[in-house]
Amino acid sequence: MNVSFTPIPRRTLLRGLGVSLALPWLEAMGPFRAWAEEAPAAKPNLVPNRMAFLYVPNGVNMADWTPGEDGQDFHLTPILQPLEKVKSKLLVLSGLTADGARAYKDGGGDHARALSAFLTGARPYKTDGLDIRNGISVDQVAAARIGDQTRLPSLEIGTEHGAMAGNCDSGYSCVYSSTMSWRSSTQPLPKEVHPKLVFERLFAAGHDPSRGQRDARRKSILDFVQEDAQSLENRLARQDVRKLDEYFSSIRDLELRIERAEKLPPVAVPNDPPPTEIPAVYEEHLRLMADLMVLAFQADVTRVCSFVLANEGSNKSYAFIDVPEGHHDLSHHGGDGGKQAKLRTINLFHVRQLAYLLERLDQIQEGDGTLLDHAMIAYGSGIHDGNAHNHEDLPILLAGGGCGTIHSGRHLRYPRETPISNLWLSMLDRVEVSLEKLGDSTGALPDLT
Amino acid sequence: MGFSWPTCFDRILRSIRVLIEAVLVTALQFAAVLLAPLDAPLASAEETIAPAAAEIQFLKEFCFQCHAGDEPQAEISLEILAQADSPQKNRSLWTRVQNVVARGEMPPADEPQPSASEAESFIESVRRTREASDRNAKPDPGRVTMRRLNRAEYRNTIRDLVGIDFDPTEDFPSDDIGYGFDNIGDVLTLAPVLMERYLDAAEKIMSRAILPEPPPVPKRHLDAQYTEPASGEVASKWIENGFRRLESDTTDPLGLGPLHTPYKWEADGAYTFRTRLYGVAPEGQEVHVAILLHGPGLSDPSPESELATVAGNILRPARLLKTVVIRGRTPESTDEIEVSIPPAVDRQRVLVGLVRPSEGQGPVKIYVRHMALEGPLDTRPPSQRVLLAVTPGTTTEQQTREVLARFLRRAYRRPVEEGELQRLIALASRAQGAGEKWEGSIQLAMQAALCSPKFLFRVETDEQPENPAARLVDPLQLASRLSYFLWSSMPDDQLLDLAAQGKLHERLDEQVLRMLADPRSDALVENFAFQWLQIKRLESFVPDAQRFPQFDPPLRAAMLRETELFFASILREDRSVLDLLRADYTFLNQRLAQHYGIPSSEGQPITGEEFRRVSLAGNSLRGGLLTQASILAVTSNPTRTSPVKRGRWVLEQILGAPPPPPPPNVPELSEEPDAVTAASLRERMEIHRRNPACASCHTKMDAIGFALENYDAVGAYREQDGEFAIDARGEFPDGTTFTGAAELRQILLGREEDFLRALTEKLLIYALGRGLEYYDRPTIDRIVSKAKIEEAKFSVLVREIVRSDPFLQRRGTPAEANQGARGAE
Repeated sequence: MNVSFTPIPRRTLLRGLGVSLALPWLEAMGPFRAWAEEAPAAKPNLVPNRMAFLYVPNGVNMADWTPGEDGQDFHLTPILQPLEKVKSKLLVLSGLTADGARAYKDGGGDHARALSAFLTGARPYKTDGLDIRNGISVDQVAAARIGDQTRLPSLEIGTEHGAMAGNCDSGYSCVYSSTMSWRSSTQPLPKEVHPKLVFERLFAAGHDPSRGQRDARRKSILDFVQEDAQSLENRLARQDVRKLDEYFSSIRDLELRIERAEKLPPVAVPNDPPPTEIPAVYEEHLRLMADLMVLAFQADVTRVCSFVLANEGSNKSYAFIDVPEGHHDLSHHGGDGGKQAKLRTINLFHVRQLAYLLERLDQIQEGDGTLLDHAMIAYGSGIHDGNAHNHEDLPILLAGGGCGTIHSGRHLRYPRETPISNLWLSMLDRVEVSLEKLGDSTGALPDLT
Repeated sequence: MGFSWPTCFDRILRSIRVLIEAVLVTALQFAAVLLAPLDAPLASAEETIAPAAAEIQFLKEFCFQCHAGDEPQAEISLEILAQADSPQKNRSLWTRVQNVVARGEMPPADEPQPSASEAESFIESVRRTREASDRNAKPDPGRVTMRRLNRAEYRNTIRDLVGIDFDPTEDFPSDDIGYGFDNIGDVLTLAPVLMERYLDAAEKIMSRAILPEPPPVPKRHLDAQYTEPASGEVASKWIENGFRRLESDTTDPLGLGPLHTPYKWEADGAYTFRTRLYGVAPEGQEVHVAILLHGPGLSDPSPESELATVAGNILRPARLLKTVVIRGRTPESTDEIEVSIPPAVDRQRVLVGLVRPSEGQGPVKIYVRHMALEGPLDTRPPSQRVLLAVTPGTTTEQQTREVLARFLRRAYRRPVEEGELQRLIALASRAQGAGEKWEGSIQLAMQAALCSPKFLFRVETDEQPENPAARLVDPLQLASRLSYFLWSSMPDDQLLDLAAQGKLHERLDEQVLRMLADPRSDALVENFAFQWLQIKRLESFVPDAQRFPQFDPPLRAAMLRETELFFASILREDRSVLDLLRADYTFLNQRLAQHYGIPSSEGQPITGEEFRRVSLAGNSLRGGLLTQASILAVTSNPTRTSPVKRGRWVLEQILGAPPPPPPPNVPELSEEPDAVTAASLRERMEIHRRNPACASCHTKMDAIGFALENYDAVGAYREQDGEFAIDARGEFPDGTTFTGAAELRQILLGREEDFLRALTEKLLIYALGRGLEYYDRPTIDRIVSKAKIEEAKFSVLVREIVRSDPFLQRRGTPAEANQGARGAE
C-alpha cells in the first residue's frame, strides 16, 4: 500500500491571514513514516484513529455559536463561519453538560472547576493545596489503554504555564484552572507550552545517533533509583508514600518508553531545524502547537493529544485583534452588547485557529482519506456563558471522521443535562477502548454514527 | 481623621477572615474528626469552649425549623452544634453555617429572616468562639507532605552541590501553586514529563561538571620575530636566520631586551613556558638567561636587586622565575628551556632576558627561536577538581568510595547509609567493568544520585510514620528545613556539621542570623516576596499598547527590580517590616524615575540603567509597596485600573482578610449602555454596588482601590482618567473617609497587627510548605506578639518562625485517619 503526502502550502494559508511563520521546517513535509507499510499485514485496521481535545476558556457568546437548525441542513453561525471548508466533517453538539463544574456546596470557582471537570466528568475537590483530587481524564484513559502502540502515550500541550502566582480561582489551587489532563485522580499533568520541547519530545530520539548507548545508561540509572528508593518505603507516612508512588509510576513510564523505542520502528524526523523560541505572537504560538499536533499524528508518534488554548479564567488581552480588554473581564459582559461583540471576536479568533488545524489535517492524505478522516478532534469550553458561569448546554464541536465511525456534517441537539462525559465514552469506544463509565457518564452518546 | 475601627469595616474584615479560615479548616475537618478518638487521652487537657447561648438561640430561631429532627432538610441536621464541644468537634459544619448566613443564602427568603444586625452579631459571636476554641486547640505541629524540590530549589541546590553556573531547570514544567506559593508539598507533583526532564538535567549537569576526556591543553607558539619590543627595525637589525638576537653591549633597547609577549591566563591555572635558543660568548664564558613573569598586579614580585641582574628595561613588577645556563652555541645545537608557571593573580607577560655578564667579562649574545606557552595544564572544569578530589596514594576502590560518599552526603543532605553507598559504588563498578573510564563511571553514579527521590524530594524519614505524637525533627532534617526556607537551597557544610554534632537546635538563633546575612538569602526576595506580593505575574502582564504606549520590557523589568531591591533592603538592613508600607526611600533607575516623575535625587539627576537608592520627600507621591508600579500594574486590567483588584490585593496580602468570592451569576461590572458612555469608572462601579449581593464586599474593596486611583494601570501618576478628574476618595461602610494613597497608608499602618499577622501567615506557609490550620493560630499569635516587642524586625519574624513548634516538630499520620480523609468530600 502506498501512501503519499502532499506538501503543505502553509505560507499561502498564512499569508491570507496576514501572518507569516518563519518555520521552513514545516513546509517541506514529506512522509515521515510510512507506517501503513510497516504495520503488520495481518492487522485489518491499518489506519489508526486519533483523538484530540481542544479547550477554550471563559465560555463563548452562545447566541452567535449555536446553529438555529438541527441535522444536516444547519447553517454556520457567525462564530463558526471559519469552519466553512470543513463543515462536512464537523459535528456541532448542543445540550451537553459538565455537572462536575457546577458550584453546589462549593461556592465560587467555576473557572477552576470548568477546566478540570471537562475531560474527567468528575467533581474537582475544592482545595488550595492539601489533597488535590479530581478524576482521570478521557485522554489519559486512552493513553493508558492504547498508549503502548506509539512512542508517546499522549501529548499535553498549551500556550500558558500554570498560573504565575496566587490563588487562581476562589479557593482552588491554580492546578485546577491550568490542567485539563489528569493521569490519575491525584496526578495532574502539566502541559508543555514550549514548541521546542514538544518537538524534542516527539522527535529528539530520532535525531540522536547515540540513543542506544544513552538509553542503556538511563536504564542503569532507573534500576539504581528504584532500588535506592526502596529503603524509604517503611519510613514514610502515607501522604509521603503517595508522592513516592508518583515517582515510581513516572519511572515505570520512562522504562516503558525506552522499551517501546527499542521495539517500534524509528520515527522519521523532519529534516529542517526544530523551533527554538516561543513565538511572541499568540496566534503564531497556537498555530505552531497545532502544527506539532499534526506532525505527531502524521508520524504516529502519539494518537492522543490535549491542547489548552488558554488557561481557564485567562485574562489575556487580544489587542492584536482590536480587543485590548482582558478576556475574563469581558466575559462578565453583564448583557452589554459591546462586550458581547468583543467576546464574539475572541471566540471567532479561537475558531479560526481550530479551522487552521482541521484544514491542515484534512490536507494530509492518508490511506483512503485524510488525516482528519482518521481523527476525532473535540473542541469546546466547560463554561456556557462567561457571565452566568453556567455549565450546561456547552459549546462543543467534534470534527473528523474517526475512521468512518462518525457521520459528520450535522448539528445534533441532546437533551439538556446529557453529560459531556458520554461524548468522551463514545470517543473512547472509537479507539477501541471500552469503558463502563467515565466520571458522571450515563452511557454512550447516541446518533454520532 | 476621626473614625472608629471597631465598627463596620472592622467587623466585616474580621468576619471575612473567619470565613476564609473556616474554608481552610473544612479540608482538614475529616482528618481532625477521625483523629479525635486517638487524641482522646490527651483531649482532656484541652478546655472545652462551648458555643455562646446567643449562637444556640439563633440556630433555634432560624435554622432548626428545617435542619433538625429525624428528617432534616438536605439531610443536614444542626442539632449537634448546640452541644458544648461543638466548636472543636464540628468546625466544618459551623463554617458552612457561618458562610451561608454571611452570604444571605440562609435562611431561605420564604422563611423568617434575622435582621442584619442579628445576623452580624451571630457571625461575630461564632467567630469569637471559633478563635477561642482554636487558641485552645491541642498543640499540633501539623504535617508537611514530602516536598519535591521546586524549580528554584533544584537550580540553587545544583549550584551549591555541583558548583556549575547554568540553569538546568529551563525546560522543567512550571510548578503548581497552592496557598499562594510554589513550594507546597501536596501540590508539587511529579509527572512523567518532569521525571524525563530530571533525567535530562542530571545528564546535562554531570556532563558539564565532569569531563572523562578533558580537552587537550591549549598551546601557543610564537616565532621570535613577533616578540616585543617591536619595531620596523627588528627584522633588518635583530633577526638572523629566523632567530632574534639580544646583545649585552648594545644601547638599543630593541637589542638589549628582554623579549616579551602577552598571554591570556586563567587565574587558577598552572602553565608551562618553553623557549628555544642558543648563546654566543667569549671562550670559557657562560651565557645566562632569565625567564620572568610580569603583570601590573602581580603578587610576590622579585626585589630590585634580583631584577637588576637582567639586561635592559624590565617591565615591573616582575618575578624572576628561573635563570638558566645556555649550553648551545649554534643554530643547530639549541637549548630548550622549560619553566613552570604556578597559578597567580594578574599574570600578563612572560619575559626572556639576557643576564648581564659579570664585571670584567666579555659581551654575550643570545639567539631566540621562539616562545611557547602551554596551559592551563589542568583542563578539567573546577567542579570536576572539587568533586573528584581524592586522598593521594589510595586505591581506585577507596577513591570511588571517598568521592561518592562525600557527594551523597551533600546530595541527600544527611550522613550516608552504607547500603545506599554500596549500591552506588556497584553502579560505578559495573560501568568501569563495561569499559568506562573511572571519571565516566563516577559521572554516571552522580547522575543516578541526582535522579533518586532522596535528592529530588526533601525526604524526612521517620521510624514511626504512623505515630501521631509531636516530636522534634532530627537535626539534619532541621538543617534542610532551615536552608530551604532561607536559601531555597541545600544546607551548607556548617549546617550539616552542626546537625551531625547535635548542636543545631541550641545554636539556632545564631545560624538564622548567619544565614540571613549570607547572599543566598536573596532567595527569600525572589521566591517568597515575589509570590507574596503576586508580582511574578508582571512577567505576563501586557497592558493595552494604545493606552499605555510607554510600557515596554525595560519598564517592566525596572518595576520588578524596584520591588526586589526594596524588599532586599528590608531584609539586608534588618528593618521593621512596617517599613514595607511606610518607607521614605525606594530604588530607581532613569527609566523608572521618569515613569514616576522623579527626575533627580538630592540634586543629582537620575540617569542610566543602574538603580540607586532614592530618598522620598515627605510629600512624595511614592513610598512603600502600595505605590510601587509593579504592584499597581499586576492589580490592573489590560485597559484600565481595577479598584476592585487593588482593594482585594490589599485586603488579602496586606491585611490578611481576603474577601469571599463573588456570588455566582453576578457580572463583574454591570455596565448599562448609557452608563458606559456617560459615567466615570467610579460612577459605574457605584451603580454596580447598588446590587446588594455585591455591596457588602465591594464597599471596602472599592474604597481601598479608589484611594489608589491616582495611579494608572501601569503605575504612572495621573489626575485625570480620560475626561474625568480622578476622585481618590474612599469611604468605608462606617462613614470613615480618606483620600489618596498617603491617607490609605496611614490607615493600614494603624492596622499594624493585621499586617504583621498577614505577613506572618504568608511567611509561615512558605516556611512550612503547607496551608495553615486552626491549630496554627497559637503559633501565629506568639510570633506576632514577639515581633511587636522587637520593632517587627524582619529577622525577628524569621527567628520566631524557626523557633515555632510546627517548624521544629513533626508528627506522623495514623494510617486509618489518612484513608478516611482521602475518602471524604
